Amino acid sequence: MMRLNILRLAGVLALALAFAGAAQAEPYLAAQMGLKCVQCHVNPTGGGMRTVFGNTFAQTQLAAKRIGGEEDMWTGQVMKFLSVGGNARANYNYTDVPNQDSANDFAVEEARAYLDFGVIPNRLSVYIDQRFAPGNSTNLEANIRYWITENSIYVKAGRMYLPFGYRFEDDNAFVRQLSGINMQAPDEGVEFGFETGSWSTQFALSNGTAGAPEVDEGKQITARTEYAGSAWRVGVSAVSNDTDAGDRFGAGLFGAFRLGPVTLLGEVDYFDDDSIGIEGRKLMASLVEADWKVLQGHNLKLTYEWLEPDDDVDEDEQTRTSVLYEWSPIQFIQLRGGVRFYDGIPQNDLQNRTQAFVQLHGFF
Amino acid sequence: MTIQFNRLLPVKGTIGLAFMLALASCTAGDGTGLDAGGRPVPPGPPANNDFQQIQDTILTPSCSGCHQGANAPQGLRLDAGNSYALLVNVASAEVPGLMRVNPGNPDTSYLVQKIQGNAAVGVRMPANGPPYLSQVQIDLVRGWIAAGAPQSAAPADQLVVASSIPATSEQANAGLGKLTIIFNGDVDSSLANTNAFALRDANDRLVNADVRVPVGRPNVVEITVPQPLAAGSYQLSVHGDGPAPLADQSGHVLDGDADGKPGGDMLIPFDVKPIANEGAVR
Repeated sequence: MMRLNILRLAGVLALALAFAGAAQAEPYLAAQMGLKCVQCHVNPTGGGMRTVFGNTFAQTQLAAKRIGGEEDMWTGQVMKFLSVGGNARANYNYTDVPNQDSANDFAVEEARAYLDFGVIPNRLSVYIDQRFAPGNSTNLEANIRYWITENSIYVKAGRMYLPFGYRFEDDNAFVRQLSGINMQAPDEGVEFGFETGSWSTQFALSNGTAGAPEVDEGKQITARTEYAGSAWRVGVSAVSNDTDAGDRFGAGLFGAFRLGPVTLLGEVDYFDDDSIGIEGRKLMASLVEADWKVLQGHNLKLTYEWLEPDDDVDEDEQTRTSVLYEWSPIQFIQLRGGVRFYDGIPQNDLQNRTQAFVQLHGFF
Repeated sequence: MTIQFNRLLPVKGTIGLAFMLALASCTAGDGTGLDAGGRPVPPGPPANNDFQQIQDTILTPSCSGCHQGANAPQGLRLDAGNSYALLVNVASAEVPGLMRVNPGNPDTSYLVQKIQGNAAVGVRMPANGPPYLSQVQIDLVRGWIAAGAPQSAAPADQLVVASSIPATSEQANAGLGKLTIIFNGDVDSSLANTNAFALRDANDRLVNADVRVPVGRPNVVEITVPQPLAAGSYQLSVHGDGPAPLADQSGHVLDGDADGKPGGDMLIPFDVKPIANEGAVR
């Protein structure tokens, strides 16, 4: 029986590797392994529920060691047409703002569950991403995904995260705040995706209201394309939103490559936003990240971010430097901890705060 | 172990490394010539106190008698806590193509047209005139708008909620779909989100809402709900505590509990009235 299960596992891995497809909510993993988002996530643009391969990867490649028997291999599929998944992050946070008393608290950063009803296997799915904490239950994604041709062309409609740049786990990254496209701000619309060889391309048409009710005639167009090679990758993305408050256009360049045990990622985004202030603003943000796989199950992450909140104003730039360590002792558990140093203009205390956290991350 | 850099750093890797190094070379600004919000300090004399004078000598004595509370005409409340936020860069309800106050341009400000008596819609203000405002008073308003409609002479050193619509314990009219929170300073819009604002119903259930700082009104936060709120009791929390508390553009964290120090939550309970004939015997 054990031999049969090992063979089954090997078969699943081989099958999944055969389908070169898309990225991860931790895009460094995709870059490290030379994978595309769609290989580990049912959402072809990454994040959220994991595929059979993604779950297998989490148990055999991400964790320092796997406990339990081969017959306990979790795939997410609880029955033929239904897969489930989830993420929970429990934090201890410490914040130090100059000239203020420091603050610390325990908090549930997120607890969310995923359901994927694969009513026609590999072709038609109804997908739900529901956040249960913090706050009351909130739907973040609810969409129908139809693969017009299996593993290559799909259409997705409903509430979804839009495709732009890298889908980092950290929604507070400057690049994710600047674009406003992150895993806290889904939008409602339709997305077309193309997965061909090493390329992933998406086009989305949405309300452009970050999930809020539509208030005007204008719509948002978002596009992203990425070439994902085995050792390096590069992509571009663009967004244009026509609103009564002003037009908003953004473009981004992102890429990554492997250097031995270290994976380097970078993204730079530019926005011309007429909806800010009276005259509008031109903004930029960048991120560079280095992930060093110290040992299996151990990752040291360094990030350096830069934000230009108004290109017409000098000396207003901000930076954020983070040092994080991620340890995955066994499958589906991660202990994360780190410090983030904000550096901004000396007149603004919040722009010069320091945050530290320890996080227990459970996922499946 | 010998690392063979020639094999690790092909041309693509070198280009990529240069790209990463370029991104890592950008630094924070030193803040020269900027205020605490990161905006350029305007040249010339500091902002004037004209609006306070306008509030004290015109809006409060002549206008706020009618323009206050839940039934203020056109939703325009002109009491001291609300007037600035509901005038400057806010579209007129009678002529939506015009701002009530269009900073820098008194002639296209609907407020000026109303007090001068040349507005396209409605009567000249004050509605109980004559007497109307004196030319000196009108010129004071025009001069303030021409100067850019500044709010006050000195920035606040602490962020507090100046007013809200509906107000604390107010019985709001049926059909309420938007809450307006007015602060004494300009809010850091990146912090104005559902982490800092939570609207709950009588059963303590979170009400789905959109939180935004409207364009041109940086001291205002609008909370919009998808459907008008049903009749009942609600409470809005504005958080000055937690890992991402609300703060102004100078980094002053909200003093929510009014203890004179940053921190604490501001709680705004209110009720929504039922529709007039709701529950009537038919």
